[in-house]
Amino acid sequence: MKPAPFAYLAPRSVDEALAHLAEHGSEARPLAGGQSLVRLMNTRLATPSVLIDINRIGELAAISRENGAVRIGAVARQRACETSPDVRDGVPVFAEAVRQVAHPSVRRRGTAVGSVAFADPSAELPTALLAADGEVVARSSRGERTIAADDFFTGPFTSALAPDELAVALRIPVTAAERTGSAFVEESRRHGELPMCGVAAVVTLDGDGAVAQARIALCGVHRRPIRARDAEAALQSEHPDDELLQAAGALAASAADPVGDCHGSAAFRRHLAAVLTRRALATAISRAEERNA
Amino acid sequence: MPDKIRIAVTVNGTAHDVLVEPRTLLLDFLRDQLALTGAHAGCEQGACGACTVLVDGEPTRACLMFAAQLDGAEVTTVESLAGPDGTLHPVQRAFTENHGLQCGFCTPGMLLAACALLERNPHPEPSDVREALSGNLCRCTGYQNIVRSVVAAGAEV
Amino acid sequence: MSYKYVGKPTPRKEDPKLLTGRAGYIGDVVVPGMLHAAVLRSPHAHARIRSIDASAARALPGVVCVLTGAEALEHIGPMAAFCAEPVPQTAIATEKVRYPGEAVAVVAATDRYIAEDARALIEVDYEVLEPVVDPIAAMGPDAARVHDTLDSNVVFHRSLDFGDVEGDFARSATVVRRTGRWHRMCATPLETAGALASWDPYTGAMTVWSNSNFYNFLPWVFAGILGVPTNRLRLIPCTVGGSFGSKHLIMQVVAIAGALAKATGRPVRYLEDRFDNIAANDNTGPDRHYDAELAFSPEGEMLSLTLKIIDDYGAYFQFAHGQHGNAMAQPTGPYRIGSLRYDVACVLTNKVQQGFFRGAGADPGNFILERLVDAAAEELGIDGAELRRRNFIQPDEFPYKIPTGNVYDSGNYAAVLDRALEIADLKHWKAEQERLRAEGRYLGIGLASCQERTGYNASEWWFLYDNPPLPATSTPESVKLQVDAMGGVLVELGCPLWGNSPETVVSQVIAEEFGIDPAGVAVTYADSTTGAMSAGPGGSRLTIMLSGAARGAARTIRDKMTRIAAHAMEMSPDDVECVDGTFRAKGAPGTSMTMGEVAMRAHLFAHDNPAGESSGLVDTHTYDHPYATPPNADRTDMGAFYPMVSHACHIPIVEVDPETGRVTLLKYYAVNDCGTIMNPPLVEGQIMGGIVQGIGAALMEQYEYRDDGTLGTSSLREYLIPTLNEVPDIVVEHVQTPSPFTEYGVKGAGEGGRLVAPTAIASAVSDALRPLGVFVDELPMTPERIVAAVQAAR
Repeated sequence: MKPAPFAYLAPRSVDEALAHLAEHGSEARPLAGGQSLVRLMNTRLATPSVLIDINRIGELAAISRENGAVRIGAVARQRACETSPDVRDGVPVFAEAVRQVAHPSVRRRGTAVGSVAFADPSAELPTALLAADGEVVARSSRGERTIAADDFFTGPFTSALAPDELAVALRIPVTAAERTGSAFVEESRRHGELPMCGVAAVVTLDGDGAVAQARIALCGVHRRPIRARDAEAALQSEHPDDELLQAAGALAASAADPVGDCHGSAAFRRHLAAVLTRRALATAISRAEERNA
Repeated sequence: MPDKIRIAVTVNGTAHDVLVEPRTLLLDFLRDQLALTGAHAGCEQGACGACTVLVDGEPTRACLMFAAQLDGAEVTTVESLAGPDGTLHPVQRAFTENHGLQCGFCTPGMLLAACALLERNPHPEPSDVREALSGNLCRCTGYQNIVRSVVAAGAEV
Repeated sequence: MSYKYVGKPTPRKEDPKLLTGRAGYIGDVVVPGMLHAAVLRSPHAHARIRSIDASAARALPGVVCVLTGAEALEHIGPMAAFCAEPVPQTAIATEKVRYPGEAVAVVAATDRYIAEDARALIEVDYEVLEPVVDPIAAMGPDAARVHDTLDSNVVFHRSLDFGDVEGDFARSATVVRRTGRWHRMCATPLETAGALASWDPYTGAMTVWSNSNFYNFLPWVFAGILGVPTNRLRLIPCTVGGSFGSKHLIMQVVAIAGALAKATGRPVRYLEDRFDNIAANDNTGPDRHYDAELAFSPEGEMLSLTLKIIDDYGAYFQFAHGQHGNAMAQPTGPYRIGSLRYDVACVLTNKVQQGFFRGAGADPGNFILERLVDAAAEELGIDGAELRRRNFIQPDEFPYKIPTGNVYDSGNYAAVLDRALEIADLKHWKAEQERLRAEGRYLGIGLASCQERTGYNASEWWFLYDNPPLPATSTPESVKLQVDAMGGVLVELGCPLWGNSPETVVSQVIAEEFGIDPAGVAVTYADSTTGAMSAGPGGSRLTIMLSGAARGAARTIRDKMTRIAAHAMEMSPDDVECVDGTFRAKGAPGTSMTMGEVAMRAHLFAHDNPAGESSGLVDTHTYDHPYATPPNADRTDMGAFYPMVSHACHIPIVEVDPETGRVTLLKYYAVNDCGTIMNPPLVEGQIMGGIVQGIGAALMEQYEYRDDGTLGTSSLREYLIPTLNEVPDIVVEHVQTPSPFTEYGVKGAGEGGRLVAPTAIASAVSDALRPLGVFVDELPMTPERIVAAVQAAR
């Protein structure tokens, strides 16, 4: 299938891009990696009349670590995030999630910010961002703001971005190094496909080995990625054992309200939510214990 | 109709200075405007990899990129591999010696993905090959001989 | 028999053009002034078309023509159907759409982008009707009717007994009964179907390039649809990017291109995109519900098999029940089962219709039988391999006639099974299985012994009818061989290139017959005006049939050259032989002539040649099926219709995660017997490719039609085929029991992998989950199905 007609703009600076967005608003969409957007445009499920190609804005490709946060620019490729020491060491759950996105060839063009902004409720990176309490840095000609991940995802393929706003970066607080472990696990029908359910877990233990903090996010089980806050609360201050993890899994499953499709029914996705939450927690905790020595 | 975009693009070593419609996919630009029909449309969804070409040396799904994005870029297609006198590129030779193709539709994409891999990892293990080619579908060969072909190409170089 | 070129790993002649981007697929064919087509498809499964307004579409700059179904019928005829029942189909729907994605209008424009812009402007007013989705419900008297021309959605039902089924069941000690479910799948070649039609209104002639087969088998069918005289149609083959049966007769695609070509007076190319192909390829695989019983004697001998089948055919019935004719070539597998009941109901629903997809109906047949055998092994407490061995047809019993009347030409099933068990490292895997079970993990070892019938006869398409509309009995293959005046050898094939290796095969055969280097043989492809009767690839027939055709042509030319050479050397032809490309006295290579010397003489020196020899060296050889007998009148014996039968034993090793339903293939062992192997790497390639398609069938491939009839699996993101990562190491070995009926003893190998792998993997998953009480009887085994089975078994 072929896309509908559109005007093509290739700004060289963020200000230029923002000016275009200010002018065209919801008629325009920014183009970064294109691995999600162009696919949609080819089926005409997306028909922007203006495409703003941001790939030539060099400053947006940067990945850096400063002030206790990892910053990933809008044009930083998923592949770059995979190999970046800042991401790998700073936000391991995000690095682990990136490795499971599609295929290496897709990750060489696709961007992390692009995946987040696309807001697919089944996608890995929005979920990892949510578990890591990350933020989206949004700019418009009116100024800049940061949007917490939990506020960013408003529904399937919809975000809190205003029509004239560009997501210029992700800002993810560095995950504590001591006594903290994370894991991203997912189940998909086949290698490289979106998961039926994915779970991002980040767990910090206290000096006694009890859970000081647990953050659990899930994809594929709701209209947007969700935090399993009841499960997190149940883990708080408890010493993790099999029974507790089972209970956490069950609580995560009850937070799920999946939409079924040809890959998995709602009931099956809820089942996976329980299983994968348990497994993600088990892995995160054992990794946290390794860093406890 | 929106304004055409002017692009200065090098394809297989030949410089082009042309106007393209914004929505013309890189795949169609190559096939229809430059008559380079080696890249194939298998899905136009980025799911199969049959359209894979190299853009600035990176394996790229030509169905998910617009020709308009190519200003200043270098594109390499399968047509650049064999010599004009018919001498096959080592990767092509490895594919035919190891029966790595049957209908040939996925083959140009596989060859270019393999070339990109061999450029950065001249002696790949089978697992490296599987990772590099995991986004390329084949419906005929069952993949085993494709992996063998790329490993063999690495062994030869 | 030892050969010099037959049986050798000869380099593949097809490769250079495919490797260098010069393949010549239909998408590569450009004709000056050609237009591009796009097809508007129904979003509804079942609806009446009240009206179509194409005015905005027609007004769009760059649009040359828009045709509705009714308008198209001014130029083309309805689709051909080989069924006896009135199930009419047109390339573009007229009053009613009967499946989601059925064409309702077509556009021709200066490029595909504009054609799609125009398509988006066409307004169709539908009266949505109740969709018929569940075939069981569709059989009921109150179900909405897919076709008003039929009294019921059950378009065909027949039950046939072969042998004494009642008696065999009466004397049995154990009856194993299972149900089986095989879901709808499709070939999904990486290249979709396409056609480029160019019409000359002054002569009424049409030229069509396409990736269709059957242009040298049933060209008159195309001519009838296109509304052109049969002797004014030229169908030109293109290199095909995979077919697996789905491009035998791509009537819809050819008709759409042809209709637009006639309507516009310009060449028009219609190339399906992936959405077109998945929704409307008209060639999906079987979609079957089985209720089956296998009866055993007290000693564990298989006595009788009953199969009660409901097959969801979709909205049309183009090839009738040919897929069941096909299955009846080997329903009893490699076993000495004495009687069979085959009870099949073909049901129409609002889905894309069935055609032929690698296996062609025998794939679910193998599935249900081997599941029964596995179930029996458990019930009877006999090891699965032992139970099979006990019931195999023995090597000295061939040719063996099975209850349906088909004949198995040769085989050594025990040898294949034994070799498979040998190479499968079972000691290691069984130890692994135990070790992992102790850890709460589930490893499984599968086993399947199955037939691969090769080289079909046309009768399989119609023998289930008492009064078939077209009881054809010809399935030939033709090859034209020329030796030019310089001794250059040129072969012209009547078949297309599907991704198999017809050029290489005929080169090997010609090389063998003349003793010349296969690399020196040139090969081209005939079109429908230059080729003789050729059914082309399909039914794993091509190596068999090309061997016969090429050998026949080679012998004719070689004999003529022998006569001419003998005359020139003043010898008797009986004293002259052709060795290593020279014609010489037998046993005394003193006097000899090269191919070139003989050829020049043959072409230009008529007065020096024996009286009666025509000038030149050219022969078209049509090779008919080497062994076929007709069905009898009461259909208690279908005759021998698929007698070259290959065989394989597959042993897959899997790990199953019962909590997530994930199946990981760890290793795969296959031993294959396809008689004399023409070219070992090529056979191995076919087997591995088929196995991987079988992995798809076993684990992930399925059409999903929702309750409202709409198609849930419309792209490659939903209809999933295996990637590199789903494929384990595959070990393939061979046993060779030659066929007594074919040239060189070859049998076919193209479908074998996919005919065996699905049921072998089902066996492996069942073995893995045996401790949890799970028995697989439905394919594909998706994660959800596996988890549900585990939960149900608790």
